[in-house]
Amino acid sequence: MTRWAMVADLRRCVGCQTCTAACRHANATPPGVQWRRVLDVEVGEFPDVKRVFLPVGCQHCDEPPCLDVCPTTATRKRDDGIVTVDYDLCLGCGYCAVACPYQARHRTPRAVFAYGGAPAKHEAKRHDPARIAVATKCTFCVERIDSGTAQGLTPGVDPEATPACVNSCLSGALAFGDLDDPGSNVSQLLRENRHFRMHAELGTGPGFYYLWDKALPEAAQ
Amino acid sequence: MNAPNELAAVAGSARRVPTYCYQCVAGPDLLTVKVVDGIATEVEPNFCAAGIHPGHGKVCVKAYGLVQKTYHPNRVSSPMKRTNPRKGRHEDPGFVPISWDEALSIVADKLNAIRAQGLLDESGYPRVAASFGGAGTPQAYMGTFPAFLAAFGPMDMGFGSGQGVKCYHSEHLYGEYWHRAFIVAPDTPRTEYIISCGMNIEASGGVAGVARHADARIRGLKRVQVEPHLSVTGACSAEWIPIRPKTDAAFLFALMHVMLAAPRERLDIAFLAGHTASPYLVGPHGYFLRDPASRKPLLHDTRSGAAAPFDAPGATPALEGRYEADAIEIGPDDEVLAQGRLQGTTAFTLYAEHMAQYTPEWAQGVCEVPAATIRRIANEYLDHARVGETIVVDGVTLPFRPVAVTLGKTVNNGWGGYECVWARTMLAALVGALEVPGGTIGTTVRLNRTYNDRHKSVKAGLDGFMDYPLNPTDKARWKPKPNIRNAYRTMVPLAADGPWSQALGPTHFSWMFLDETPKGLPRVTLPDLWIVYRTNPAISFWDTPGLQEKMARFPFVVAFAFTRDETNHYADILLPEAGDLESLQLIRIGGTKYVEQFWDHAGFALRQPVVAPEGDVRDFTDIATELARRCGLTDKYVDAINRGIACVPLKVAGHDFSLPANQSPSCEAVWDAVCKAASAEVSEGREVHGLDWWREHGTMTHPYSQVEWFLYPTLERMNLRFELPYQERLQRVGAELGRRLHEHDMRWWDTQLLEYRALPEWHDFPGLWDEALRDAGAEPSDYPLWLLTARSMQYAWGGNMAMQLMKEVADNVTGHRGVIVNASTARRLGIEDGDEIELSVPHRTTRGRAVVREGIRPDTLLAIGQFEHWVTPFAKDIGNASLNSLAAMSLKLTDSTGSGCDVVRVRLARAGAKS
Repeated sequence: MTRWAMVADLRRCVGCQTCTAACRHANATPPGVQWRRVLDVEVGEFPDVKRVFLPVGCQHCDEPPCLDVCPTTATRKRDDGIVTVDYDLCLGCGYCAVACPYQARHRTPRAVFAYGGAPAKHEAKRHDPARIAVATKCTFCVERIDSGTAQGLTPGVDPEATPACVNSCLSGALAFGDLDDPGSNVSQLLRENRHFRMHAELGTGPGFYYLWDKALPEAAQ
Repeated sequence: MNAPNELAAVAGSARRVPTYCYQCVAGPDLLTVKVVDGIATEVEPNFCAAGIHPGHGKVCVKAYGLVQKTYHPNRVSSPMKRTNPRKGRHEDPGFVPISWDEALSIVADKLNAIRAQGLLDESGYPRVAASFGGAGTPQAYMGTFPAFLAAFGPMDMGFGSGQGVKCYHSEHLYGEYWHRAFIVAPDTPRTEYIISCGMNIEASGGVAGVARHADARIRGLKRVQVEPHLSVTGACSAEWIPIRPKTDAAFLFALMHVMLAAPRERLDIAFLAGHTASPYLVGPHGYFLRDPASRKPLLHDTRSGAAAPFDAPGATPALEGRYEADAIEIGPDDEVLAQGRLQGTTAFTLYAEHMAQYTPEWAQGVCEVPAATIRRIANEYLDHARVGETIVVDGVTLPFRPVAVTLGKTVNNGWGGYECVWARTMLAALVGALEVPGGTIGTTVRLNRTYNDRHKSVKAGLDGFMDYPLNPTDKARWKPKPNIRNAYRTMVPLAADGPWSQALGPTHFSWMFLDETPKGLPRVTLPDLWIVYRTNPAISFWDTPGLQEKMARFPFVVAFAFTRDETNHYADILLPEAGDLESLQLIRIGGTKYVEQFWDHAGFALRQPVVAPEGDVRDFTDIATELARRCGLTDKYVDAINRGIACVPLKVAGHDFSLPANQSPSCEAVWDAVCKAASAEVSEGREVHGLDWWREHGTMTHPYSQVEWFLYPTLERMNLRFELPYQERLQRVGAELGRRLHEHDMRWWDTQLLEYRALPEWHDFPGLWDEALRDAGAEPSDYPLWLLTARSMQYAWGGNMAMQLMKEVADNVTGHRGVIVNASTARRLGIEDGDEIELSVPHRTTRGRAVVREGIRPDTLLAIGQFEHWVTPFAKDIGNASLNSLAAMSLKLTDSTGSGCDVVRVRLARAGAKS
């Protein structure tokens, strides 16, 4: 089996938003729709303050709350863990956006372009009417994964098969790979580092892990 | 040699085209652009370049704006001319489209009239001026225009656009003076401990900086970030120390105090004695004691027990102590100050005694960093210094000192900049961490030649030091009459006199002195014609309202224009050049340069038309060629190209690709010849590839040894010393400069002359802002907050304020939606997050939104980036406050290098309705 997952190393992330921009390019999302973005979080009080950058987006959960509430079965989960939206089935009801604890769902009621009015050439070229008034979200760049694996490439290793945000990440904070493969880069990172999953207490089983420190010696064995 | 293959074509009519992005000084980045049916759709890293690029081939966020830039609806899409002769902020220029022929005729006619009249005006200043954007990056986009500039003759490049005075100015000048370090960096891949005073490397270090530091953090690097606000870099550091603004010198001095109080064996005594001027004897008047015959500086040889010239074979110099010597002491203008049996004190002893006053307890009172913290950091630095250890780099054994100190903007420029960069360099020298693996190292040279090889720029000078092209200050050679309006050659010896020097003079003087030229300088005049490219000084300089008023007086302005903006609002002609993805140019890449650019390869990269140009725009090379033809300068223009001004000499390694000087070359012919010469250079003559090959492959490089990253081996080989700690030469230069100025009754630079001290001292640098307020008739306590600025990775240098995507992603980073205010300060003033606020200085006010955060000192405000646009499309609706509109151009706040810094004392109040 394969379980695709994303890993974000919080020690590396600098909050530059290059992943945000790369995702906007790769997926041609409209202005303001950021399937991948980085939160800029501050904790503490002056002068004891910490500032952390936290990449977020769809967590491709094992038990996606968005799936259960979808009245049309537009939202599904593939065997490899990727949660998908079938735009032909989606009504745009927004239940999924309410149910998602990660604020990862977006809905654009009408076509929006960077400078209002008419689309620029590149926007016109890539505008997809099927995405209007339906739920959209990070797909883990599923087309790249499927096309890459069909060519014998390895997602997370070969750029052509890897999500755009991971390819673009300047600091190497983002990694992608197969959790079920103990030799994959993500499996190795999770073995070697302490990590958490966001809102894990909700039982969603996110496929998105955050590294925050080296593993304790005994845990890394 | 490494020549990445073109990425495989993607499905259908799509293809990926390799090119580069060099929008900022932390580039270039190598990228590909996906083109579908002739339309650019996506930017991606050039994955094939991952092996040659220090940032693993990734691409900065700014490059992702290039697609929007290409298809921006508000692009200037044809040449335009002004129809309203009145100029002013509130005057509509009345731009109307014209043909290229008409536009170039108008410009060429003006230029030819100027040539006929004489290139210099009645004051001796060039009649033509030009301003390009910061840090030399516009040159990576202006094709062969530098050849036109060279062919034309003298131009005033000293109006600047904020660069030169708002940059890392003291670091540029002193860094290059002391260790050929126009920009300074840690040896990030090897260092273990960094003290970073305000260096916001995660925002300004580009792809390479971000990647190298992220790797280092995982490796275990500890970085201590010292700055008034918790920047992106502070967020990524092990520790944040919120220091009081403009007091970094006190902090750094106290670190040295602690280190000098530690047992001497913790310092690198061998380095200090053998590779610095620490053992040189200083006489009673503060100048080196010299051998009466050779005039070489003396040191005390412990083996013979007598004085010896600094380069005496076999001498074992005493690092510390006081000794007598038969000597001569020579002061300014070759005056003999003393001779005979003189007492000398080693420079190191004077230095150590000088630093004794700067205790951590004293510093705590100045910079508000606890003394215990200062002691701990100094000792952590010593603990990590590994004095005595070596490391093998590419087969060469070198000292290994994995500690570094970095400085950021406003720390390394303006008053206090000299003290900080000197302290930083001495902190490295104390443990032998200067220009060695793991330590504090330079990246590039811009005032010394050759630009492409800092090692070749090292020439033996006087007294056992590197030569440096100081502007002369002796009576016979000092030039009282400046060659350009900012008077760098007259006032700033360290600015040297090369092509970069004009932009590294006090560029604000060009603007300030238009109203009132100080005594002794020829009256500063308006240039007859001003050329502007990739810069918007009406936004990016200080005192932007005042500067705009002066711009309105410029009689003729030619602006290369992407969109309308606040500077080209005053233009007479707009020339739209083909954009980043539409035009052709080859540049050098690799080696070491600018910010954290340390490569294992060196070579060239091509920027090529990815898509057909939008509108009636022209490649910059074609514009330059045509202007040269219309000015009758084609032969000189082509000659400049042949000599190498467009990247590489066309005669190289047994090949001659020179262009015929008697005809105007096509754009493709120029770059085909340059490509061939470049490939011949990279391959040492074995391979010659024309433009078609480069279009396919994009880059071509050869290996570059990491040993080249470090200057120490070159100085050791040439038996030269670092000119530290005692600044005898600068003291002499300052004294001579003072005499020259006074001989011409010029006394308005006297305060700046005080900075020429052999051993830098702490002065109340923050107090200068109190004085400036009093001079303005204000009470300092009425303006209690320090307004600072910080670089935005998403915007800096990019000229991309009109790009919606950049604003969208930048807004995810704190501070891009307003001015950051400390939470307790905000509470005290009744300000809530998002409220409209008013920032005031005497006689001027601006507005923005409050961003309330804990990660900033209560006495500090932070306005990231440069805003307050009123013409630039999209940007004019952002509504952020900008420090630039409040900052004055001030002689009082100008240091001896001619720089100031981005610091303003302000009053803060809530304005308007609650958000």
